[in-house]
Amino acid sequence: MKEPLFGPFREQGNGKHTLGPMQHIDVPMRRFREDEPVDYLIVGVGSAGGVLVQRLARAGFKVVGLEAGPFWDTERDWVSDEAGSHKLYWEDARITGGSDPLALGANNSGKGVGGGSVHWAAFTPRLHPSDFEVYTRDGVGADWPISYDELLPYYEQLEIEMPVAGPAYFPWGRPHGYAYGPHPMGGVGNALIRGCSKLGIPVCIGGPVAILSGSHGDRPHCIYRGFCIQGCKVGAKASTLITHVPDAIKSGAEIRELSMASRIEMGKDGRAAGIHYFDGEGRPHFQKAKAVIVAGYAIESPRLLLNSSCAGHENGLANSSDTVGRYLMAQAGNVVLGRFDELVRMYKAPPAHALSEEFYETDPKRGFARGFAIQTVAPLPIAFAKQMVAAKKAWGWGLRRELMDYNHWATFGVLGEILPWPENRVTLADEKDQFGIPVAHVSFNLHENDKRLIKFGKEKTFEVMYAAGATEVVQEARYAHLVGACRMGADPGTSVVDKFCRTHDVSNLFVCDGSVMPTQGSANPGLTIQALAARTADYLISQGDAIFTSNRRDMTPPRLRRGLAPPHTWGKGVPRLT
Amino acid sequence: MKSGSIHAGASLRPRDPVTGEALPERAQPGYYPGFSIMSQKAYWDRATREVVEARLKPASPLRFFSDDEAKLWTAVFDHILPQTDRIPERRIPLIPALDERLQENRTVGYRFEDMPHDRDVYKTIGIQAINAEARALYRRDFLGLAFVEQEGVLRAIHDGDARAGEALWKQMSIHRFWQLLTGDAIEAYYAHPWAWDEIGFGGPAYPRAYMRLERGEPEPWEAEERRYAWEGPVASLSDETNDASHHHTEAEQHGHRPGKRQP
Ligand SMILES: Cc1cc2nc3c(=O)[nH]c(=O)nc-3n(C[C@H](O)[C@H](O)[C@H](O)COP(=O)(O)OP(=O)(O)OC[C@H]3O[C@@H](n4cnc5c(N)ncnc54)[C@H](O)[C@@H]3O)c2cc1C
Ligand code: SF4
Repeated sequence: MKEPLFGPFREQGNGKHTLGPMQHIDVPMRRFREDEPVDYLIVGVGSAGGVLVQRLARAGFKVVGLEAGPFWDTERDWVSDEAGSHKLYWEDARITGGSDPLALGANNSGKGVGGGSVHWAAFTPRLHPSDFEVYTRDGVGADWPISYDELLPYYEQLEIEMPVAGPAYFPWGRPHGYAYGPHPMGGVGNALIRGCSKLGIPVCIGGPVAILSGSHGDRPHCIYRGFCIQGCKVGAKASTLITHVPDAIKSGAEIRELSMASRIEMGKDGRAAGIHYFDGEGRPHFQKAKAVIVAGYAIESPRLLLNSSCAGHENGLANSSDTVGRYLMAQAGNVVLGRFDELVRMYKAPPAHALSEEFYETDPKRGFARGFAIQTVAPLPIAFAKQMVAAKKAWGWGLRRELMDYNHWATFGVLGEILPWPENRVTLADEKDQFGIPVAHVSFNLHENDKRLIKFGKEKTFEVMYAAGATEVVQEARYAHLVGACRMGADPGTSVVDKFCRTHDVSNLFVCDGSVMPTQGSANPGLTIQALAARTADYLISQGDAIFTSNRRDMTPPRLRRGLAPPHTWGKGVPRLT
Repeated sequence: MKSGSIHAGASLRPRDPVTGEALPERAQPGYYPGFSIMSQKAYWDRATREVVEARLKPASPLRFFSDDEAKLWTAVFDHILPQTDRIPERRIPLIPALDERLQENRTVGYRFEDMPHDRDVYKTIGIQAINAEARALYRRDFLGLAFVEQEGVLRAIHDGDARAGEALWKQMSIHRFWQLLTGDAIEAYYAHPWAWDEIGFGGPAYPRAYMRLERGEPEPWEAEERRYAWEGPVASLSDETNDASHHHTEAEQHGHRPGKRQP
């Protein structure tokens, strides 16, 4: 066995809170008193919450982020290991059902500062302009209360803040280019290029992913170790934990870890007064606030609103429209696995590194509305073994045999748009969690359009895999990326929040995370979620103290405040084409 | 022919497809002879090293399972991930990780609405189900059956082919039950560095990095593939697969009733 070039690794051991090998938090964190109202109390410091906390603190507000999970020290807490990374996921009790039950847990949501951005694969495509007007164009789903052009400045802004690596020219949706150069290909990406090229399907390589292809500030570039979904110890993959939270703390925000919000308290004036939560030892607390933002993910956000029912809000807070929990969406995420005679070794390189959006838009000839993307995925051995159980019914010696061939397989993921349906929803179960809080019941059912889309997307991806040279192609059916369940809209009778993420019913209560999305397109949602959070923050900042003192709803769009980005956002990367 | 025997009899070991002879037990089955993940541990970060090394330490005594329960689940998992191609000292313990998970009441973060709690499955309902199927097929409890009969019981559950009365399976989906068992067996086996040696998985690479990304080539410290042919033991029914790719949706795929079996 040969040794690596520079010999064994020795830790720096600087005794500080580390975020990657280079970055650490070296300022003391501010602490707020519970009995004095803070300006903004945010539930969940995940993809959206991390951006909100940073922006609002930098603008000078008193901000506390309540986070149910831990505040990670990445050198101490994270490992390059599948079975050792369960703590990154939301694994508290939830119940799943309906005709097409969704796998939750590791397949969906995160817990701990950074939330889902800690374990995402970091694909960061934008939505297409058509996604904002699905109902107008296709007569299905819903329209957004904002257009692509309203979100565009925030897409561009967040692509630089993360930053995103990708090609200089991305041809789908509204064509654009990326801040950082694309990544080199791994074996799976090469298979996708071969398959697509043979069939004449355009393919985009090396991004868009929120993974550094060159070092940036105190974050090193990617080392192609393939453990993105287990958290990037390298700090190359963006998470709000390393991109936004350090600046939030420097700007005076408090992140209160191991704090599980159980109920939003309403004051006599009809405004939210604060939040009841449990600390790490299970002790109850109450934090007063002038305004509350719920950013707990598409399951936990509606759960908290439903658990906050009270006089005047008997069906749950902000639920006069009976929409809280409804129109929950997941994307079709069928994994197509191809076996190649030659070795692939798909554990190298980030799972996310190439994609095609050629089938994204509605094509009436296909017999269903909307479309899908094809992306690289790359399961590590445990995930791959479970896929072999599903796809080939393997067990016993058959399972051992398939796994001995692990290095011969490459995998593509279908990412298909499933439409929002009212009966796909989060409700409360009778069962309670470790704090005594009723848990979420998730019900999910596919409809005819969804099934046709999945079948077509799966079959097209089979074609690509065969064209790439696979001698055997199989498939595991699954879903990815939950969004919706507190959707935004102009009509208070059919939506939960307005276009600035303010609930229609309570003027100092906001929901801002993936749950506000009315439709989801075939793009991974993380970039859109962070862009929406930055836009919401700009709106709140533009309103100043009015949010705390008045019930007036000013619908004037905010201007983009680039100056509130974390420091060193500018002057990095290659020039963009827009 | 007993599953519990330390050195597996010839009929329980994988065979040479040409001669039909049982292959010898190996310290390291798989196609990457000489590859050793643990030889690389000095190049990993400390947290990762500690987590992986802990899997090589002797397991602590079981806390959730009684001796009898452990005996049953050990026998079941010996079929789901058989290891008779490994020398006894190199077999990967599967039950201790499960015992710890159940003792600490950890789950995968959700429960299908047609499933009882994991703890109830492993403590009572699952045991009843396996024994009821065993009695329906062969008139004895699972542990009293010959190896190949035990394979028959588990294959019936794998196929979703329940014989033992509706009342039992009303409490629990047979397909999700199978998914739970295979999931727990996989979580233990493929988390183990010996399994990584077997399948040629390069494992942790922080802070060192991978550099040969594109052509499936090994890093300088990885091994080339050297394949050998083998087929499943005489007494086994599991060395076959059944393509379920025609199902487009997850629910269909996991509620799948295979028609004809492939050889
Ligand atoms: C394996 C995997 C791969 C993925 N890959 C991609 C990808 O490549 N690209 C992409 O765009 N997306 C990806 N996603 C999806 C992405 O991670 C999520 O869509 C995104 O993180 C959701 O953002 P959010 O702000 O809505 O919620 P989250 O990021 O999940 O944040 C919610 C936070 O709130 C906390 N919280 C919840 N309830 C409470 C409470 N009551 N009290 C206190 N705190 C609470 C949670 O602990 C969590 O930290 C992936 C997801 C998974 C599981
Ligand atoms: S592949 Fe790159 S981005 Fe992913 S975990 Fe490894 S270093 Fe981080």
